[in-house]
Amino acid sequence: MRLLSNTARFLATGLIALFVLAGSAHALEKCLICHGKKDLYKTEQTGRKVSLYVDTTMLKKSVHASRSCTDCHVDITVIPHHKNPQKVNCRRCHYSGNPVGAPQGELYDQYEHSIHGIEVAKGNPKAPVCQDCHGTHNVIVHTDPASNMYKANIPATCGRCHIDIYATYRESVHGQAIASGNLDAPVCSDCHGEHNIIAPSQPDSKVSPMHVTETCSKCHGPKGVVAKYGIKTDRMATFEESFHGVAQQMQNTMVANCASCHGYHDIRAENDPKSSIYPANIPKTCGKPQCHPEANANFAEGKIHVDPKSESSGAIYYISKGFMVLTVSTLCGLFVLILLDLYRRVRKSNGKKQA
Amino acid sequence: MSDKNMEKTSRRAELIHNLASEIVGSAGTIVEYDDPQGTAEIVREVKERLTFETNFLLNETVTRMAPTRPKETKAPEKEGRTFERFGMNFRTQHMLMFLSVITLIITGMPLKFPELAISKFVIINIFGGLQTSTTVHRVGATGLIIVGVWHLLYIMFNRTGRRDFLLMIPRPRDIKDFIHTMLYYIGRKPSGPRFGRFSFIEKFDYWAVYWGMVVMIGSGSIMWFKQFFPKYLYDIGREAHSDEGLLATLAIIVWHFYNVHFNPEVFPMSWVWWHGRLTEEQMKHHHPLEYDGIVRHESKAEFEKKQAVPMEEGGAEEVG
Repeated sequence: MRLLSNTARFLATGLIALFVLAGSAHALEKCLICHGKKDLYKTEQTGRKVSLYVDTTMLKKSVHASRSCTDCHVDITVIPHHKNPQKVNCRRCHYSGNPVGAPQGELYDQYEHSIHGIEVAKGNPKAPVCQDCHGTHNVIVHTDPASNMYKANIPATCGRCHIDIYATYRESVHGQAIASGNLDAPVCSDCHGEHNIIAPSQPDSKVSPMHVTETCSKCHGPKGVVAKYGIKTDRMATFEESFHGVAQQMQNTMVANCASCHGYHDIRAENDPKSSIYPANIPKTCGKPQCHPEANANFAEGKIHVDPKSESSGAIYYISKGFMVLTVSTLCGLFVLILLDLYRRVRKSNGKKQA
Repeated sequence: MSDKNMEKTSRRAELIHNLASEIVGSAGTIVEYDDPQGTAEIVREVKERLTFETNFLLNETVTRMAPTRPKETKAPEKEGRTFERFGMNFRTQHMLMFLSVITLIITGMPLKFPELAISKFVIINIFGGLQTSTTVHRVGATGLIIVGVWHLLYIMFNRTGRRDFLLMIPRPRDIKDFIHTMLYYIGRKPSGPRFGRFSFIEKFDYWAVYWGMVVMIGSGSIMWFKQFFPKYLYDIGREAHSDEGLLATLAIIVWHFYNVHFNPEVFPMSWVWWHGRLTEEQMKHHHPLEYDGIVRHESKAEFEKKQAVPMEEGGAEEVG
């Protein structure tokens, strides 16, 4: 498709549009002679049975309700068709300036630069294209709980390929919140992005060491949604205050970020004994070979996110305040002494001149 | 420059100055003198100087601040008698200390202000990253710890060190000296207090460094060997390290640099840290009590020596 010029695409779409006007309802009816049967399936070479049933109720609800089968399955020209239809190419309609009003944005370009788009371009047969996530005959608006793209359904959608991660995520504090119907909790796309998912090893990734703090702080930072649930929102500020945060500001990528300690797909509440930050697990969490191999129980004897400006930090707060008073008073005193000394010198040299 | 020459120059300058005030006072009338040749020359100089003075008011201010005595040179030994202020041992301690402290400040301060561009420049561009800079910081820390231990041994087992340490202990007299200095500064006393070997200012400096060493080495060690201390002690240590580091840096830049660099008397730098010696004049001016003590001790020794000579000859009654 990419090889075709815009003009050719325009002509092709024009023809499709004519088809639609000619009689889409008839086409649908004809196709449903076979595809309306629930037990219609094909058997792949691997022996897997693939259902070929098309649920018309879902199709009628979908955003493509007014389209006919052949609008997408353009390679079907005769019914019954003799060959397997090609995979549908969404960009046949979803390109900028298309005449049928299909939504088009930068998302398609983002997809092409994402890890999924790159793998598809490489020819990886497992890499997902649009319909792997958005669905085929069931593309419905993402606010509908039946949509693959409904927030609570996203983990399952991604989990169709990333099954291990889905299993881990489901047990995490975020996954459980989503399962309990809390839509404020993050799903895959909140951290990884949607069409612009790139490998965490890439510096631009939203979950790369340099960006993960920013990504977590969308909810756990100031103005974060977690405030609603009594979870602290000073996490980013206290992280930046810590040595780890300072090192990150110095562009050190080896230093611990949110995920290094809290985990990522397996983030659990701090009072969960399975949590990586449960006090008993802290020596192990801090003691990763590349971090603090010398870590022991002492590492758990105190808070991690410490805010010297908050009175709840106890001794640290008073030390910080005490030093502030000491520094300001000492320096003021020294400045006064210097000014007095200079004043004396000027007076002395004046006195000498007059003598 | 010889003293004779200096004296001549200053007398001449005084003459010119007096003459200038006289001329200005009599509103432009030039006074005639008996000696026409000398006067003509002086009048010409006065005119030049007047133009100079009226044009450079700012310069006048600077002149006031200029050293009242000849600046100390690199080797005061060449100019008469000198007194040892700091021995080789102590000077080496100071050198190791400032090398360590400068290293520690350069590698430490950026971490207190990580958001500043200069901090990022120092750590990332100069040191090539935090791993190098923290290693360098530990090298500086080792230097500082060595100085600390060395100094403790010095004040315990070295004669001079022990004497100086005892003299460093604050006494009630220091409070009196402080009040005296303040009164002198505001013009209520004609002259400053007479100090001994260590003035209250020097004692403050010494004990400030002492406190700084204890806090910095203590808190730094907790962070360096954090596995031996509970996390809350680490946090306390980190806060103290960061705050005391800033306090010490500011105190050095403001106070110590004023005393040994920016003070008009020594600008651009006092060289005592290098040669460790004070001239007789500096001794009389800054440490008169110590100077008196030395002189008294010497004359006593001389007296005893003189007394001892006739004693040996059996003529004690001659001396009386």
